[in-house]
Amino acid sequence: MNSWDILLQQIINGVSLGAMYSLLALGFTMVYGIIELINFAHFNVFMVGSFIALWLMQAMGIVGQSTILYGLPLIGVLVLVLVVTMLGAGVLGVAIERVALRPLRGVSGTAPMITTIGLSYIIYNLVLLNVGADTKNFSNPLPNIPWAIGGATLRLREVLLWGVSLVLMMGLHYFVRRTKMGKAMQATAQDQEAARMMGVDVDNVVVITFFLGSALAGAAGLIFGLYYNYTSFVIGYTAGLRAFTAAVLGGIGNIPGAMLGGILIGLIESLGGQYLEVRWTDVIIFSILVLVLVFRPSGLMGRTAPSKS
Amino acid sequence: MKRGNYVRGALTSVAAVALATLLGFGVTPAQAQKAPVKIGITLPLTGADAEDALLIEHGAMLAIDDANAKGGVDGHKIEVVVYDSGTATAGQYDPAQAATNTKKLVSDPGVVANVGPMMSGEGKAMTPILSEADLATITPSSTNPDITNPDMAAQFKPKGRAIYFRTVTTDAFQGPNMANYMAQNLKIKSVYILDDSGAYGVGIADSFQKQAAKNGIKVLGRDQLNPKEADYTTILTKIKGLNPDALYYGGVAQAGVKLAKQAYDVIPKMIKAGGDGVQGGSFLTGAGFPAVEGWYSTNASPHVVEDPGVQDWVKRFQAKYNQVPDDYSITAYDGTLVVLDAIDRVAKSGKPINRSNVRDAMQTSNVKTLQGQVSFDDNGDIKDRTVSVFQYVHDPKFKDDDIIHQQKYLGVAPQS
Repeated sequence: MNSWDILLQQIINGVSLGAMYSLLALGFTMVYGIIELINFAHFNVFMVGSFIALWLMQAMGIVGQSTILYGLPLIGVLVLVLVVTMLGAGVLGVAIERVALRPLRGVSGTAPMITTIGLSYIIYNLVLLNVGADTKNFSNPLPNIPWAIGGATLRLREVLLWGVSLVLMMGLHYFVRRTKMGKAMQATAQDQEAARMMGVDVDNVVVITFFLGSALAGAAGLIFGLYYNYTSFVIGYTAGLRAFTAAVLGGIGNIPGAMLGGILIGLIESLGGQYLEVRWTDVIIFSILVLVLVFRPSGLMGRTAPSKS
Repeated sequence: MKRGNYVRGALTSVAAVALATLLGFGVTPAQAQKAPVKIGITLPLTGADAEDALLIEHGAMLAIDDANAKGGVDGHKIEVVVYDSGTATAGQYDPAQAATNTKKLVSDPGVVANVGPMMSGEGKAMTPILSEADLATITPSSTNPDITNPDMAAQFKPKGRAIYFRTVTTDAFQGPNMANYMAQNLKIKSVYILDDSGAYGVGIADSFQKQAAKNGIKVLGRDQLNPKEADYTTILTKIKGLNPDALYYGGVAQAGVKLAKQAYDVIPKMIKAGGDGVQGGSFLTGAGFPAVEGWYSTNASPHVVEDPGVQDWVKRFQAKYNQVPDDYSITAYDGTLVVLDAIDRVAKSGKPINRSNVRDAMQTSNVKTLQGQVSFDDNGDIKDRTVSVFQYVHDPKFKDDDIIHQQKYLGVAPQS
């Protein structure tokens, strides 16, 4: 491997990581955009998503890395697992909103955010109590197909990760820009009161937002498992905090910003590891969070927070 | 977290006495009325280390159950208090929990000795408390040399007396001897070294690195893994680019499992090695075949579990716990024998069975165990300094998690 091959390989690694962070960051940013709330329970919706996918695949008889599928059965299984995982995670997100956050709507200050931290710990510990603390081997029916690009290697699972992320993000973009519900979301984000006066069902918009954000986190959970071949009850925190940083970096509340932020954080992580040392990864990432907050509080692509007029 | 008080021993003895009295047998009252003696067991039974911790716990319990079945140690029944030093938040052993448990342990004056810990990270948190209370512990697997290093006594044994005994040798030998093995037997010319940020991992990687340099192995780099991180492909790609002959990993299962899985994709052909942190059930079942295939590992003890002489013991262990023991089940059994022998000698000498006397007796141990005669130097370290080398080689005839048969014993690493 010459130094260009290594750079290319680290870019492939970084974009893969980044795509996962982007999917997670979207959930933070969408909820923030609509109700100006940082939802810390989002970390663990992602984690639960990976377990839903694992249980589903185990129920289908796919255990560990020994059941390899090809062609139509593979596509069928992946689509089915993706859809069910996204639905499951989406429903969990809606339940979180309905049970714990809606009663607090209109309460100003940090109470709702603190509630999400509490919820996050409840989910975390419930999963721990049910599955135990050890690392779980994730079911993976993907064949390991590598392609050589010069000295670098691109694998099927990376292509799949990019493809699924891209399709989901494009779908979300289309949904927000083109559909009636999407326009209602934009209106609610701009001014909740005015939107309500124009006949927008704000409660409904919030529910849809939580559903979509959480479903994307579920998808990220599945992708995480397929990519790393493991899951555990602790996976939410490291990934979740970096995704949150990605959302702030891109401009919290800004959907394309979250995608860009995620990819950037992924690249910073892999290139930082290559040219500095991996032990510095978190220092670099969180320094960037602080710098962005100090010098460009609205993020790279600007914040689209609700106006408080 | 208290996992449960093993008072079974005491209850059976009460029941036996009652039964015997009912049936009219003569029971010598002195035998039955001797006060029970308590021993602690502290292990990370939650999290990534749980599997290996259980192998150790069972080794210790077998020795205690054996003693109680024979009527106790000089007539004293042995009771066990088990504490779990693994926590959910750490996902593996947790030094803070180990310290909390140790405080609970020393606050019970009935406890005269302890078996544990499994991890050096726990040991570093425990020893200052143990030293103040004069409560000796014996570890079957913690190998960090700092804890018993006389130069660091102020930190780890402020009262001066040896408090941390071991039935394994330390990383002052485990890391360097493996460096010798890799230079002499595997003909390694260059290496990249990783650790997992833990006390054990950093220590063994440091001592490996020093000896590797002495052997003329070029160290192409050294980096540190965050055990909670999911992604190690970045560092593995970097290592692939540097193309060393081998990768040495100092650390335990939590990071090791993920490292092995991802290394299998990125650097499948490179020689990969670690210490006793990658030796055992947690690593084997966590990473599994094919990822662990070819990994070298070491044990800081002689390899006895396959000796013909201990096969009866192995069979008994398997029958009782439905589990294949490893070498650290044996060091745990041996360590517990040392404690029981010390209690026995104190009891027979007529002195009161308390912490101080038991500690003194442990210091002068010369006990016949499964791994041979065990005795200690003034720091509490075992005099035998054997380091055994293994390699994971898949054998489809046995179960994938069979720790004895899924690895090959390669011999003793050369002592420098």
